[in-house]
Amino acid sequence: MTEQSSPERARALRLEDLLGRDIYDVDEEPHITVDYEKCSKCDAKPCLYLCPAGCYTLSGNRVLFSYEGCLECGTCRAICPMGAVRWSYPKSGRGVFYRFT
Amino acid sequence: MGFSATGTPRFDVVVVGAGPAGATAAYLLARDGFRVLLVERGRGAGSKTLYGGRVYAGPLREVWPDLDREAPIHRWVRVERLSILEGERGLTLEYRTPKAYSFTAYLPDLVKWMVKKAVEAGAVFVDEVRVDSLLVEGGRVRGIRAGPDRVYADVVVDAEGVNRLLLEGAGIVEPLEAWRAPVALGVKEVIKLGEKAVTERFGLDDDRTGAAWVIMGDATGGLPGGGFIYTFKDTVSLGVVLRLGEAYREAGRPPLDSGPYALVERLRLHPLLQRLLEGGDIVEYGAHLTIEGGLAFMPDHLAYDGLVIVGDAAGFILNTGYTVRGVDYAVYSAKLAAEAIKKSLEAGDTSAENLRLYEKLVRESFIYQELEKHWAASKLMEEWGTAGKYPSIALRAASRLFEAESRHPTLWEAFLEALRASRATLLDAARVFAEVVRGL
Repeated sequence: MTEQSSPERARALRLEDLLGRDIYDVDEEPHITVDYEKCSKCDAKPCLYLCPAGCYTLSGNRVLFSYEGCLECGTCRAICPMGAVRWSYPKSGRGVFYRFT
Repeated sequence: MGFSATGTPRFDVVVVGAGPAGATAAYLLARDGFRVLLVERGRGAGSKTLYGGRVYAGPLREVWPDLDREAPIHRWVRVERLSILEGERGLTLEYRTPKAYSFTAYLPDLVKWMVKKAVEAGAVFVDEVRVDSLLVEGGRVRGIRAGPDRVYADVVVDAEGVNRLLLEGAGIVEPLEAWRAPVALGVKEVIKLGEKAVTERFGLDDDRTGAAWVIMGDATGGLPGGGFIYTFKDTVSLGVVLRLGEAYREAGRPPLDSGPYALVERLRLHPLLQRLLEGGDIVEYGAHLTIEGGLAFMPDHLAYDGLVIVGDAAGFILNTGYTVRGVDYAVYSAKLAAEAIKKSLEAGDTSAENLRLYEKLVRESFIYQELEKHWAASKLMEEWGTAGKYPSIALRAASRLFEAESRHPTLWEAFLEALRASRATLLDAARVFAEVVRGL
């Protein structure tokens, strides 16, 4: 850490940079699965904007889900209007590993 | 540990979730000589837990008399700040006192300490085990299921936290839906500054003194919720809490067009805070759901046949708008639960009827009474709340008072002008004032 002001710090970090500070042990199997048939009928797609780890992204008109950066907060299961998110925690101690929270 | 006739492990009590509530229940019941299994899904205790950063000590001391001497406490909170932001302007109220009631700590460390105590008292701690469901047989909870394994117990303590997968699975609570559940999303960064920098930049007397800082108004870009900062030994936590119902409705529109992380980054770069956080190294980023309006999140009952619900899973978080209490509520609820469980086990009857002594104890305690008392005020917060009208009235009044070329208004004039600018009437203000005062 330096006391001098760093111009780089004065800019907002990207989500990837923030997630890069966390420790994970990613499971081979996803702990969350998305029912894409239900998902494809959704217009609002709140998951794109509310997942704090950005696990839901748009490809064309389709939502893509990746579980690797998941912070295990449960937001997506609470906000999916289609009930398309089958949500659980990772098994065997896998997933995010918090230290200072 | 005992075994049933079929070789299935059997305990007096199985506790699901090694957070503050679960660890406390396990500790107290093991200390009283019961066979206790504490099950945790994370790797080691505390690896899945996340909160703002402050714990009120009083209720914890009743369970852990060694708290002040032994617990991994960072700083005692003797500085309280409350800021209202609008654009680049900010109004800050600071309260300083020599007597501290709360401390900051990394919750993973505090939980590890509690679990160590539970294990020393004789509890069996198992980590890396995800409990998949409650074992319900003959209309009562008889244990837990984890993968292919079953564990039987006379009482299961549900300390699973805010995501109540087990209770939902058993049909005890409704599935979590943002548009009707009183929950909020908390997103936070932990920023390393160095011990000296934390003490100096936050105006703290020494390295054992800490600050708790609630930020209202523009902290969330106008969305219902708020921001917070807590100071640790050589780091600070900076976070934003968003009421999920409103966030759901606003998703995709600014300021929620690029994810909640952007709101935390926006707060970090606000002129009020940036100079304090400059040069800091972000060492962790995390998110967790929390409860706003605890009574509405409470299950119909806190105990069922063979089952007791504690901590977040029971809805025990108090959010007054100027402070948040969860860890001490979790610990104290587990203490009350342990009393009822002990009596029930000794009587050889762990039916709902016996275990609901816990419910009675909660109702007679500060937990229920505080949640109920602040209910009116918190309902009002939804309308006028931490991002709503009254913070902006205070800020506008301040700007009228201080931003004057030559003529300064009287306090009363500034207040009336601010009311008008916020499109609120004096009657509105009087009503809110009366409701809040009554609620306080």
